[in-house]
Amino acid sequence: MTIDLLPLRVVIADDDPDIRALVTIAVKRAGLDLVDSCSDGTAAWESLQAHAPDVAILDVAMPGMTGLEVCRLVRADARLSGIRILMLSAAVADRSRQAGLVAGADEYFIKPFSPRLLAERLSLLAAGATR
Amino acid sequence: MKQKIITTMDRIGHRITSINPSPLLKQVPTLIPCLIAAVLATTSPDVAITDLPSVVGGGIGIVLATIVAWMLTANVRWQRYILAVPAIDVLAISAMEHGTNSVNSVIAAGTIVPLLWFTAEAGRRHLSLSVAGTLLMVFAAYRLFNGRAELPNAVELARDRFTFVVISTVSCMVVFGLMRLGRRRMDNIELMLAESRAHAESLRNSEARVSAAEGLLRGLWEAITEQSAIGTDESGLIDAWNPGAVKMLGVAEDAALGKRHIDEFHLSAELAERATELDTLVGSEAANPGFEALIEAARLGITDVREWTYLREDGSHVPVELSVTTRLDGAGETVGYLFVAHDLTKAREVSRLKDEFVGLISHELRTPLSSILGYLELMRDEDDVQLSEQQLGFLDVAERNANRLLRLVGDLLFTAQVESGTFRLNEHAQPLAPILAASVESARPVADAAGIVMVLDATEDCIVNADAVRLGQGCDNLISNAIKFTPRGGTVTVGVGESGSSAVITVADTGMGIAADELDQLFSRFFRTTTATRNAVPGVGLGLVITRAIARAHGGDMGVTSVEGVGTTFSMTLPLLETAKV
Repeated sequence: MTIDLLPLRVVIADDDPDIRALVTIAVKRAGLDLVDSCSDGTAAWESLQAHAPDVAILDVAMPGMTGLEVCRLVRADARLSGIRILMLSAAVADRSRQAGLVAGADEYFIKPFSPRLLAERLSLLAAGATR
Repeated sequence: MKQKIITTMDRIGHRITSINPSPLLKQVPTLIPCLIAAVLATTSPDVAITDLPSVVGGGIGIVLATIVAWMLTANVRWQRYILAVPAIDVLAISAMEHGTNSVNSVIAAGTIVPLLWFTAEAGRRHLSLSVAGTLLMVFAAYRLFNGRAELPNAVELARDRFTFVVISTVSCMVVFGLMRLGRRRMDNIELMLAESRAHAESLRNSEARVSAAEGLLRGLWEAITEQSAIGTDESGLIDAWNPGAVKMLGVAEDAALGKRHIDEFHLSAELAERATELDTLVGSEAANPGFEALIEAARLGITDVREWTYLREDGSHVPVELSVTTRLDGAGETVGYLFVAHDLTKAREVSRLKDEFVGLISHELRTPLSSILGYLELMRDEDDVQLSEQQLGFLDVAERNANRLLRLVGDLLFTAQVESGTFRLNEHAQPLAPILAASVESARPVADAAGIVMVLDATEDCIVNADAVRLGQGCDNLISNAIKFTPRGGTVTVGVGESGSSAVITVADTGMGIAADELDQLFSRFFRTTTATRNAVPGVGLGLVITRAIARAHGGDMGVTSVEGVGTTFSMTLPLLETAKV
């Protein structure tokens, strides 16, 4: 009997293309499967509904919808209940982190972030979760 | 009314003083008997003119005296020569008396009038003058004008002149007494008049002062157009409403006075919230909890300044900073309240825009820095390519500078947060030594590279209520400054100790020191000392501002002592919870 271990599926969203590329590298290094990469909140929400991935990496300040708004929509939707959400933000204040966690994020990374640490974090997620 | 009384009194005063008649008027009683005598002498054969030159001389004397009296009346300045008039009269009448059969003269009685004039003048010496005049008349009639060789005998003298002397003397004494009495009364009246005039004057002065003060107050009240000033009685009924209130609340003065209550211009929810807050504090049961909540602090004698929301007549809201104070009457009893408010709309808007701007800038600066630092790290972690020693050095420089930029952005953001009051601490009771040790350790590589000895002196530790991250940031700033301003071979000593009810963190260096005249500007934003600019020490002048803001947020403060060329010691005091032995 073999267990088919598929990599976790990831959707990322950030309005800055360089940061998107950086996150993409971290995702690949962690051995995860990147299914979509979005540049605004509205596109991210549509993609999440369409792909129902295992992990979403969302920037907070995005045009269309903020990462926090997308996060709240995901948490309010029963079909998307399994998604692990990782927020990325350039805001440093404690209350920003608090707002992210209240909105339903599992992890909160402050920019600038270390791609190495992000990859490690994603690897841990992959190790702890199976499809 | 007061004015009327004063003028009436003045007029009465004048009447009384004009009882003292003019010299010409005083001359009239002398003139009349002389005229009658003259008429009699020319018409009646019974009047014997014994010596015509004496009568003519006497007549001329009377005319002269009258002219003098007239001149004295016309010119007040000559009044002091007034007694010349009766003196001439006495001599003239004596002469006429002599010329008309002296002993039984028709004119004899006329002499008394000028003599009385003497007596009536103020002062005893005038009494003696009249006595002298009487004697002159009694005896001189015989001696000077009669031409008789011998004096009359006593019987003759008594028979001829006795009655005259007695009448003259008694009249003089009576007049003298009466005049004295009259004058004394007059003096009293004048004194009273002077006093009342002085009172009236001071009354007029204070009235003028009061009216000037009233004018100033009124002008001030009208001039305050950007702040609302509202007065109420003890129940909150409005009885004063300035132009600022008209502008801020959109209600005309006459529509507010006596018709509206102050709590109608407040949000009832805010009043209720404050009432609940106070209720839990004082547990009072008030009839009008909203109004009571508004004035509670003022009623207790505390100047109460806090933010409220005013409700305009059109239903819109105005955020205000409102100060509530009591109005006292002359006896110090509370008779109402004063509500002075200024509009915070603009200030709020500016603060919001600033926060927005700072947030935006922070985000826009941190995002590219994220890319720079992230890709630098990727390059360093690249497994396939082995970088040369020199290339790794280049990466170090790029990373160090990106981090420096990142710290600067953080400092700017933090300064803005401190200024807008949005900066919060996450405080716990904790010992200071570990925080200091961490800061010293993280600074050690830089200190080693700069050839500076780092010393941590924490034999005694203090426990304070602190945000370890923020406090650590403050210590990092102080240590990094100390290293920057200390030449190679110097020492930076970090210590902790207790002073009274405070814990004191000190960071002392053996550096170049700070000029005395620059010490008080050290904690100003973007200030850089001349030593810093002269020696091209990097920095923008935010570190100490931030460090002091951190100290103050903890309920503490910062201090500095410095000797140029010897060194500088910065100290941060924090409220002490307890002392701990290490």
